[in-house]
Amino acid sequence: MLMNRYIGTMLVLFGTTYIFAQNRPQPPEGMVYVEAGSFIMGSTYGDPDERPRHIAYTKAFFIDKYEVSNAEFAEFDPTFEFPTSKKDNAAIVTWSQANAYAQWAGKRLPTEKEWEKAARGVDGRIFPWGNTYDNTYVVWDQKSTRGTSIAKPTSPYGCYDMAGGVWEWTADWYKPYPGNDVPMEQYGETYKVMRGGSNFNNHSFIRTSHRYYLLPEDLRAYPVGFRCVLDVKK
Amino acid sequence: MNHKLKYRLAVPMALFALLQLQSQKVNEFPSKSDPLYKKVDMYDKLMLGNHWNEGAIMQHVIFPPAGLDRPIIGSQADCLDPTSEMLAAYSHKYAITKNEEDRKIANRIFEAVLKLERVTGVSGLVARSFNKTDKPLWHEKVMWYDEWHESSSMPGYRWLGDLSADKFTSIFYGVGTFWELCADEKYKKKAAGLLDRFIGRVVDNNFKLTDLDDKMTLWGNFCPDLPHQSLNSLEMLAALKVTYKITGKERFNAAYHMLIDRYHYDDDQINSKILFPEEWRNVGDDYHAARSLYMLMRFEDDPDLLNKYRMNLNRHWYDWKNIEFTWESTIWFIMVYYVLTGEDVFTEERIQAIKDMWGFERRTREFKIPQDDGSFELVKSEEEGTAAAMIRNYWFGRYYGIIDEKW
Repeated sequence: MLMNRYIGTMLVLFGTTYIFAQNRPQPPEGMVYVEAGSFIMGSTYGDPDERPRHIAYTKAFFIDKYEVSNAEFAEFDPTFEFPTSKKDNAAIVTWSQANAYAQWAGKRLPTEKEWEKAARGVDGRIFPWGNTYDNTYVVWDQKSTRGTSIAKPTSPYGCYDMAGGVWEWTADWYKPYPGNDVPMEQYGETYKVMRGGSNFNNHSFIRTSHRYYLLPEDLRAYPVGFRCVLDVKK
Repeated sequence: MNHKLKYRLAVPMALFALLQLQSQKVNEFPSKSDPLYKKVDMYDKLMLGNHWNEGAIMQHVIFPPAGLDRPIIGSQADCLDPTSEMLAAYSHKYAITKNEEDRKIANRIFEAVLKLERVTGVSGLVARSFNKTDKPLWHEKVMWYDEWHESSSMPGYRWLGDLSADKFTSIFYGVGTFWELCADEKYKKKAAGLLDRFIGRVVDNNFKLTDLDDKMTLWGNFCPDLPHQSLNSLEMLAALKVTYKITGKERFNAAYHMLIDRYHYDDDQINSKILFPEEWRNVGDDYHAARSLYMLMRFEDDPDLLNKYRMNLNRHWYDWKNIEFTWESTIWFIMVYYVLTGEDVFTEERIQAIKDMWGFERRTREFKIPQDDGSFELVKSEEEGTAAAMIRNYWFGRYYGIIDEKW
């Protein structure tokens, strides 16, 4: 019974992926293409807000291969200060700053769905590279340059540092998934969702399904950066 | 100046003087040339006088005008570290002196740890810190850490949540040492009850520290089903061992062996110390490993497990043997290694480093205090750090015969 359900789910997932994977558009420089289709979102083993594990759907989109760097952010905001030795490190900014940069760049912040799909692909994996973990797979935190972990793994779509490095802002408010009835006082339109974790906190936060909430303008306890997405024009 | 004006000024001046007296109860500092016992005695008075927050020990105190007349303004995320250090210090001290006054102080510090649980209103949920205040204090908005709550179980108190693995270690280390060396029968039961609820709640949540919102805290992951640091495997084994020893409850022994037999925490913990690449070495983490190994290796008698814990210790020693004594905990590592192995590792240089232990200097700096209208006011005030680790080191060293009372 369980096996039949699993096979059915995978057929749907790969079927839709195959259909939408035809005629792949060329991504702009520094971005990768994520095809339209379904994927496994959430988890059964993480925090209560990751449940239920469910099938979600996105349209096709492009997403930045790396988090936005200090130097890139300074092109948008010349008053943004950082050590010259850290021009390629991920920028740590508030949600408003991230959103303003995205608009300036003609892009936008990813939704939670888009972020999670870009990070884990369609098969429900725990990490962008699979289900095992080692410290050499990740950039520890913002102190290290983007994409410089020893193993240098990418997500199924070719994104770097979707686990570890800095947390990443998403466009979404922190709300329960459909079907989740675990009460959380933080749910609503006060906190934005950040994803991807930072090893500065704890390894399990770098799971692709992990969600955390943060006041959009308060960065005291968390190193939070971002990457942008771009809609695919038909 | 006429008499009327003098009279008008006298009252506020007297109040200001009284405020100063109350806020800076102890102002005498040792000099660096003083003998160790005198330095420890004077820092002890400073800590108990200026850092005492209803038994909890503040890691950082800001005096008026930026602070208040009570030591409840300052960074508080790590208050459980100096609190557990002073609890251990007074436990070791009582074991030597058998002085009931020392025991009373230890009891009061332990009661503060109980209050850290009671203030949350949730059995087994322990706060990082608490303050008696009915409104948010200015430092909550700007200083690490920001998870402050109004207490529903203790009206008029606020508490800081999101407990971490580090503070988890402080609790089983401090309370465990208190139970072992100092607590009378009544307090032994209280200590056992606290660890039963606190560690029991973590076990019930699949080895996660969870906060009021039921989410795992930022640094609260010991879960066998989630990737976590090897150091956290060590800390969880030590916590379970201590709690089993103190409570005698089989569930903690069963959990300990489940993590070993099914999830191989005994193998995982060996690599708690990251040695290579060298830039990943972290002596801050070593402190938690040292406290865990100190408790675990004395309470374990299985030779196979002891061998694995010794492997962990050896990996730490590879770094510690060449470590510079830059802060008090690095000196404590050497003492712990000696206690656990019996190896004579006290060179002249290390003995001198122990004799030279120092607490803190009182400093003056400007604080940026947020105002209601969103602006900031700059206020200059004095502040103090903590000498709790130094005081703990001293009584730990005295207890194990490392430190001579004449030093």
